Amino acid sequence: MRINSERGKMAMIKRYQKNKLISLGLALLVILVTASLLGAAEKNYLCFPSLTRDAAFPSKISSGSGFGSVPSPAAFMPEFSAFCCPGLLLSSTFLWGESDGSSAVVATPATRTLVVKASRILTMAGPALENGMVIIEDGKIKAVGKSLTVPAGAEVIEEPGGWVLPGLIDAHSSLGLTDETGRSENEELSEPNVAQLQVIDGLNPFDKRIAQVRAAGITSAVVCPGRRSVIGGQAAVVKLRGKTVEQMILKAPAGVKFSIGEGPKEAFGGKGRLPSTRMGNVYVIRQALLEAREYAEKWDAYQKKATEAKKAGKAASESSEPKRDLRLEALARVVRGELPALMECYRVDDISGALRLVDEFKLKAVFIGCAEGYLLAEEIARRKIPVVVGPMGIGPKRTETEKLDLSNAAKLHRAGVKIILQSEVQYGLGALEELPLVAALAVRGGLPEDEALKAITINAAEVFGVADRIGSLEPGKEADLVIFSGNPLDYRTRLKRVLIDGQ
Amino acid sequence: MVQKGKPEKSWQKLQIFLFGLIVLLFLPELSLSAAHSAGAADEIVVLSGARILTASGRNFDRGVIVIKNGRIAEVGERVEIPAGARVLDVSGCLITPGLIDAHSHLGLGPSGGVTEDNEMTDPVTPQLRIIDSIHPEGVGPDRNQFLNAVAEGVTTAVVRPGSGNVIGGQSAVLKLRGGTVDEMCILFPADMKMALGYKGAYAQKGQMPMTKMGTAYLVRQAMLEAMEYKKALAAYEREKQKNPEAQPPARDLKKEAMLLVLEQKIPVHIHVGPADDIMTAVRLHREFKFKKLSLAHAEEAYKVADELARDDVAVVVGPRMIVYDDNNQLINLADYLVKKGVFVCIMTDADVVQQPFLRTQAAIAVKYGMDPEQALRAITINPAKLMGLEARIGSLEKGKDADLVVWSGDLFDVRQEALRVFIDGREVYRNPKLDKTSN
Repeated sequence: MRINSERGKMAMIKRYQKNKLISLGLALLVILVTASLLGAAEKNYLCFPSLTRDAAFPSKISSGSGFGSVPSPAAFMPEFSAFCCPGLLLSSTFLWGESDGSSAVVATPATRTLVVKASRILTMAGPALENGMVIIEDGKIKAVGKSLTVPAGAEVIEEPGGWVLPGLIDAHSSLGLTDETGRSENEELSEPNVAQLQVIDGLNPFDKRIAQVRAAGITSAVVCPGRRSVIGGQAAVVKLRGKTVEQMILKAPAGVKFSIGEGPKEAFGGKGRLPSTRMGNVYVIRQALLEAREYAEKWDAYQKKATEAKKAGKAASESSEPKRDLRLEALARVVRGELPALMECYRVDDISGALRLVDEFKLKAVFIGCAEGYLLAEEIARRKIPVVVGPMGIGPKRTETEKLDLSNAAKLHRAGVKIILQSEVQYGLGALEELPLVAALAVRGGLPEDEALKAITINAAEVFGVADRIGSLEPGKEADLVIFSGNPLDYRTRLKRVLIDGQ
Repeated sequence: MVQKGKPEKSWQKLQIFLFGLIVLLFLPELSLSAAHSAGAADEIVVLSGARILTASGRNFDRGVIVIKNGRIAEVGERVEIPAGARVLDVSGCLITPGLIDAHSHLGLGPSGGVTEDNEMTDPVTPQLRIIDSIHPEGVGPDRNQFLNAVAEGVTTAVVRPGSGNVIGGQSAVLKLRGGTVDEMCILFPADMKMALGYKGAYAQKGQMPMTKMGTAYLVRQAMLEAMEYKKALAAYEREKQKNPEAQPPARDLKKEAMLLVLEQKIPVHIHVGPADDIMTAVRLHREFKFKKLSLAHAEEAYKVADELARDDVAVVVGPRMIVYDDNNQLINLADYLVKKGVFVCIMTDADVVQQPFLRTQAAIAVKYGMDPEQALRAITINPAKLMGLEARIGSLEKGKDADLVVWSGDLFDVRQEALRVFIDGREVYRNPKLDKTSN
C-alpha cells in the first residue's frame, strides 16, 4: 500500500479524525500484536544473519506493506524499527479504511502480489512450463504453474513469447573486490596461506559493475579470493543488491579458496618464496590442512571434555581451552567437511594434485577452472566433485589454459560431473555480462541446452548451499527472476526485466 | 607499398602453398581438407542452394556462387552452372564473405607473456615492420591460432604492432591461407600504428613520454623530422641536377617510414581510449592531414562521435564491445557510432579476445541492438575498405577473391559453426562433421 500524494494523506487524516476512537483502539491493538511479533523476529534475526529484500528496500516497508500478513520473520530488519511507529498508525488507518470501502487509496491489497506470465517458464526444478505463470507475493514465489488464478489486485507482467528463468548466478567472481579503477582487494599476497580472511571484509556494494551485471540478469554471485594466493580466504555467496554487505549476503563463508598452478608460482616463486613449484604449492596446502586437522581434534577433545564436565555438574576449566587461531579455525571447518574447499586448478597436473588432497583429507570440494578437466573427467566424476568450468578460451591463453576446449563442459557433463559455468572474467567481449553467451558457447561444445541453462542457475545454488533460497522457480523461494524475450542462448533475444526479491 | 601477388599466379608459390597445407594437416585438433584443396587450380567449384549474404547490399535466399581461378565468377539466384564444374549442394547453409579482423596481433605471442609486438627500448619505432615478428602458426599457448581462426571463418587479419610505444611500427594484412608470412601477406606496409595516452613503461623509467602531452609531442616531432628529411631529399635532387657528385642524405629508416605517413602513402591507425586521447588523435590528423585516420578501441568515442563523423575518422571497435557512460548506462559502442555516421569496424584485438571469436564480438553488438547487416559489414567489407582492399576482398561480388565461409546456420549464433572455408577459391577448412555425415 503506497501513499502517493498529499491529497491521499489528507483524505486519510480526515478519515482518521472521523473514526478517531475506533482507530485509536485498533492502533493500540496492532501495536501490541506487532510488538510481540517483533520480539520474536529479533530472536530470529540473531540466528538468521542472512538478510532478505526488505532490508535492502526499507522504503517499501515505510510505505506500509501490510503488517497483517508478514511474510517471514526475516522481513523484520533493524531498519524496521525506524518506521514502525508511523507505519503502525497508518496501517491501522488503512485497516479501518478498507472496511470503510470508500477510498481509492486503499484499493491495492495489503500484500504486494505480482504475476509474471510468459510463454515458457524454466523453473529448473522440472520440465519447462509452456504458457505458465509465476505468482510472487512479498518477494517470494507463491506458486508456479500453468493454470493458476491470478489473485485479485495483483500486478501482472506479461511477456508474450518470452522465457522466464531464475536469476542467473555467476559462480566465480571478484565483483566488488576488483574494479576498473584499479581497486584490487581479492588477493592478500603477503603470505601464501591467508585462510583467515573473508571476502566480505573487502567487498564494495557500490561497485558499478554490480549494477551492470545485475542489468544483464545476474542476480547472485559467488565472490571468491583470487587465483594467486595458495589459500586465499573465505568466499561468500551474495545477492547483487543492497547497500551493505550484510544486506547482500546469502551465505558467508561459503567455502575456502585454494589455488594450484601458475598463479601462486608467479606471486611467490617470483619473489623467491615458497611455493615456486607445483609440488611446493601442494605442500603448503597439505601442511596447512594437517595443522587444521590437529587443531580440529584438539578442539573436539576439549569440547567433549567440557560437555562431560558439564554433565557431571562441574564448571569447565577455562585453562584447558585451546588457543583460538583464526586461520586454523577456517581450515578446520574445511577439514571437518563443514565448508567446501574451492580448488582453482587448470592443468592435468594441478587437477591431479587437487584430487590427491581431496582423497587424503576427505574434502568436500568444488573445482574451479579445470581447463583440462575433460582429460580427467572420470576421476572427477567418481569423487562427485562439481566443477565451475571456465574460462571458455575467449580471452588470452596462459600456459595453463593452453589446452582448453569448448567441449570441456560437455565432456565433464557426459562423464557425470555436475557443472557450473562462470562468466568470462577476461577483458574483452563485454566480459561479465555475457553469462548466457558463455552458455551458448558450451552448447556449441556439445552441452545440451537445458544443462547449459542449469549451469548458470540452479547448479551453482545447489553446490554452494543456497538452493533453499535461490536458483529455481519454486514456491517458497526468493523471487529472483529474469525475463527474456526468447531463448537466452540466442543472440537475438533481449533481456526484458530482472527481478530480485520480486522487485 | 607492395601488393603481394596471389599464389595462383605463380605455380611455384602454389606448390609451396599446397605443401604448407599438407603440413598443416598433421597438426592436431583440426582437420583441414586435403581432397578438395588439392584440386586443380582451374577447377570450377559451384556452391549451390545456400542463403548468401554478400555484404555488398544484395542478399540471396537460395543463391549460387561460381568459383573459378580463385575468384568469384558469378554470384546470384539465377546463375548458369558451367559444364564440368564440381557442384556442392549447400542448401540450408549460410554463405558469407570470409571475415576480416581490422585489428589483430596474430602470431605475435600470447598477451601477458613474451610478445613480439612491442619494442620497448624506444617509444618511437616507425621503422619496425610487423612482418618481421609474426610466427606463421602462432607460438606458445597461442600455437595453432591461425588454424583456429580459419576454422571460425576468419580469412584475413590486419596484424599490427602493439600499443606499448607511441609509434609502434608498420602493420600488415595477412590472408590466413597458411605458408610463410610472405606468402600470406597481401598488403605491406598497410598502415602506421601509433598509440596515444599514458605510457606506463616509459613513465616508470622517467623517460619521455611521462604524460599525454609528451606522447603527442613525440608524434609531432617524428612528423617534423620526416618533413626535414623530405626537404633534404628534395634539396639533394635539385643539387644532383647541377652536381652529379652530390651526396644524398644518409638513409634513415625511421624517417623513411614516417615519410610514408607524411606523403599520404599509408594511413594511420591510432590506439586510444578516453575522449581526450581521441581528440588528440583528431588534432594530429587535422594538423598533418593523414591519408586516412582510424582509431582502435576508442571506448569513449561516443562522447565525441559527431567530431569523428565530421572528420571522417573510422573507429575499430573492440575488444570491449559495450561500455558504460558516466551514469552507468550501457552503450553499444559500434551501434552508437554507426548511427552517428561514423565508419565502424569490429575487432578482436587477438589475442586479447582470441582470433576465432571475431563473429562472437559482432554478435554481442547485434545482441544489444546493432543491425545485423551493419555488424556483418563491420567484419567484412568495412575492414577491406579501411585497408584499401575492397576491390579484392570483403564482399561476395563478381571478380573478387573467392574468400568465403559456408556456415551451418546463422552467422551470429555462436552455437552454429563453419562447415567449409575457402580462401582464393581453395577449401582451407572443412568441418570434420561433414565427413561423419557422408557428405
